[in-house]
Amino acid sequence: MAKPKLHRFAIRSSRKKTIEVIVANLFRLMTYCVILAAAYLFFDITANGSKAVFQGKAPFINIQFLTEKPQTLHVFEPLEPYNEIQKRRTQILQLQSKRKALGSNDTEQRTEYSEQIDNLQAEIERWDAQRKAERLKYSDDAYRALDHTPDLSMFKHQTYAYSGGGIGPAIIGTCLLVLGSIAIALSLGLLCAIYLSEYSRPGKTLQAIRLSILNLSGVPSIVFGLFGFGMFVHFFGWGVSIIAGWFTLAIMALPVIIAASEESMRAIPRGFREGSLALGASKWTSIRTNVLPYALPGILTSSIMGIARVAGETAPIMFTAAYALRDQLPWEGLEQPTDFFFQGVMALPYHIYVVSSKIPQNEYTRDMQYGTAFVFLFIVGFFALSSILLRIHVRSKYKW
Amino acid sequence: MQRYFHDELQELRNKLTLLGEKSNDAARLSVESLLEGDLEMVDRVLALDDAIDELEKEIGHACMRYISLRSPVSTDARLILVALKASHDFERVGDEAHTIARKARDILIREGRLSEPLKFKEMSRLSSNLLNDAITCFVEEDIEKAEAVIKMDQEIDALNKHHYEILTAETMQKQLSDASRFDAVLISKSIERIGDHAKNLAKEVIYLLKGN
Amino acid sequence: MNLAIQPERPKPNSASKAKAIIETRDFSFAYGPTQALFDISMDIHKKEVTALIGPSGCGKSTFLRCFNRMNDLIDNTRILSGQIKISGIDIYKRDVDVIELRKHVGMVFQKSNPFPKSIYDNIAYGLRIQGIKRKSELDEVVERCLRGAALWDEVKDRLGDSALGMSGGQQQRLCIARALAVKPKIILMDEPCSALDPVATAKVEELIHGLKTDYTIVIVTHNMQQAARLSDRTAFFYLGKLIEYGPTEQIFMNPENPKTEAYVSGRFG
Repeated sequence: MAKPKLHRFAIRSSRKKTIEVIVANLFRLMTYCVILAAAYLFFDITANGSKAVFQGKAPFINIQFLTEKPQTLHVFEPLEPYNEIQKRRTQILQLQSKRKALGSNDTEQRTEYSEQIDNLQAEIERWDAQRKAERLKYSDDAYRALDHTPDLSMFKHQTYAYSGGGIGPAIIGTCLLVLGSIAIALSLGLLCAIYLSEYSRPGKTLQAIRLSILNLSGVPSIVFGLFGFGMFVHFFGWGVSIIAGWFTLAIMALPVIIAASEESMRAIPRGFREGSLALGASKWTSIRTNVLPYALPGILTSSIMGIARVAGETAPIMFTAAYALRDQLPWEGLEQPTDFFFQGVMALPYHIYVVSSKIPQNEYTRDMQYGTAFVFLFIVGFFALSSILLRIHVRSKYKW
Repeated sequence: MQRYFHDELQELRNKLTLLGEKSNDAARLSVESLLEGDLEMVDRVLALDDAIDELEKEIGHACMRYISLRSPVSTDARLILVALKASHDFERVGDEAHTIARKARDILIREGRLSEPLKFKEMSRLSSNLLNDAITCFVEEDIEKAEAVIKMDQEIDALNKHHYEILTAETMQKQLSDASRFDAVLISKSIERIGDHAKNLAKEVIYLLKGN
Repeated sequence: MNLAIQPERPKPNSASKAKAIIETRDFSFAYGPTQALFDISMDIHKKEVTALIGPSGCGKSTFLRCFNRMNDLIDNTRILSGQIKISGIDIYKRDVDVIELRKHVGMVFQKSNPFPKSIYDNIAYGLRIQGIKRKSELDEVVERCLRGAALWDEVKDRLGDSALGMSGGQQQRLCIARALAVKPKIILMDEPCSALDPVATAKVEELIHGLKTDYTIVIVTHNMQQAARLSDRTAFFYLGKLIEYGPTEQIFMNPENPKTEAYVSGRFG
């Protein structure tokens, strides 16, 4: 084979290049894996959650699910399909145990059993479809409002805790918690960050403060929960309340906010500060007019992201703010306005926790779990998106 | 873009023109003093020469200052160089005028008025015109005029040669003393030198404008 | 004999007291343990351009920033001895309000630093922080300053546009205009042209030359030609010491100190 003469810049294969290609593709593969995992997570939650949140009929959104409080679900299953299914399930179990008992030589017998099991399964599915079509589901309120209960000779009555109704109070509670803790954490964090980045003198003390703030973000959330419980709930005597939840969440988000705010402020060119100081501005004036406005987009984005993350935590609010079930919405039944702050609320993450681990699982809790997770994901996404939009808006106003 | 320090170049040009005019005046007056027999005029020429020397020094300093502080290049740099050389030429013209005036005084004291056959008047007119043209071509940046000046210088050379012949002729020996004839030759030579300086100046103007 | 070709030659010693607006006496300054300035005494004269030159790290910028106490912003700086008087007042006395001082002594920085606001707001900034809000007054000052900085004709139709859309040279001139708005007497310039191309530099130089009829200007520059072109007096700094200070002509044409000679003729180091 005649080898064409290679010129000076011709491509030649070498080990280095092979490694190069392998490494690049390895990175690519790993990235795809991560993306795949994330996509699966979102897809799973969306697919299953939308069953609870959306519906085929007119408004397409399950208003009940989004507004009602969680209730016990009353299910009336038609007796006939129910019994048929139970019967076949028993048969399948029997066949399966028989098949297990067979020796390894009885292949014919084995295939026969398997076929029978398959047939039974198919029949179960048929009955199941009928059962689903004929069964009646009532949430607790609806059940109580019924004029006459279905005929118990034709239906089997079963109840499932937490599986009916909706998650309205939890959505409201979570929004309240997030908004309140954003306000507290932002104001506290911003003041702190301004002091640290603009006023404090660099030195060992400042290093120590920074380090301890950084360490704070590594503290497990349950510790914050216990701290909030000890500090706000007991020591301050606020009880399990929104305000205790606010402060607990805010303190948990503080390290992130302080670090992010400091970072944003440090990214503002020195020239802006010097420029305004040289024009006779006081330090605070120069910070107010020439540092904060330009740092704000960064501060807001990272802070809201930080809060949104923290808002997803169950542990900090478990002891401080969250009720597993509360009949009233936060603004109902207040004796005086301040009571608003001193009441517990339901919250989505805690609700997910309760529905997933504190009650017996069945086919009806599944919808509730996924639905809650989906809504929660949506709310967090909404906050993140609004923070990004806010940043874009502020950025376009103050650009450098 | 016109920079604020470019005014200084204009001032340098003005100063150079002034120097040229002064030296031209001196040259003209020196010959006139001889022809008119005016001893006072001789003193005026001598005083003028001092002023010319002073002005030349000034221009030298201005050039030096401009080079040090303004880092000129190209035309500006050539202008500085030309200013230095031209001011030197003018100063030499002043010196020649000085010489002429001194010789004129000697002749006047020795002989009284000078007799006709010598063409100092014409020669002086020529050299003065030449010098004037040289200054004008510098001011007006006129290459053609500068080239004309170079050619015209030959006429003065011819007159100078003519003077040599007259002054060394036998007839002249009777009319003038040896010293006076010798002085007259030197005067003629000085006027011719003034013409040469005018020619140099024209060459410098050409260099300034053409750059080579 | 007064020569028309030489712009008024500053006379170093005659009537120096009357003309001095900044008087520095035996001023020594340190960043933490390292001393940056050693016993500097020099007078800066009213309505002149004074250039501070010297190799990097010679302390000229530090010295400049002492005049409006910009060094206060840096930690661990201290004055070891001496004093700086501006308009007869020791600016490092305890009863001096830095804000008032900085209104009196404006500053233009090496990197042009217009605020990311409109051109108008940039100029108006200095007044707004003083609490002046009246539109008519602001309008007038903005126009005066932009005209003063020879920028008015270039930007009068787009005062509302962002200052960051201007060219580098325009930005630097905007910064000068901004400094003019608070009516300073002295303007400090820390290498104002180091990031500009020759044309922009020339424009800024023209501006500075024009400003000296009304303002006292102190300029730090690495560009010796610039110092030579622009200044009436030049001070040469080396290793934190003032080596030679005098009329620019003297420094560039016939310096007394061999170090100055070596530096200005490029034979340094």
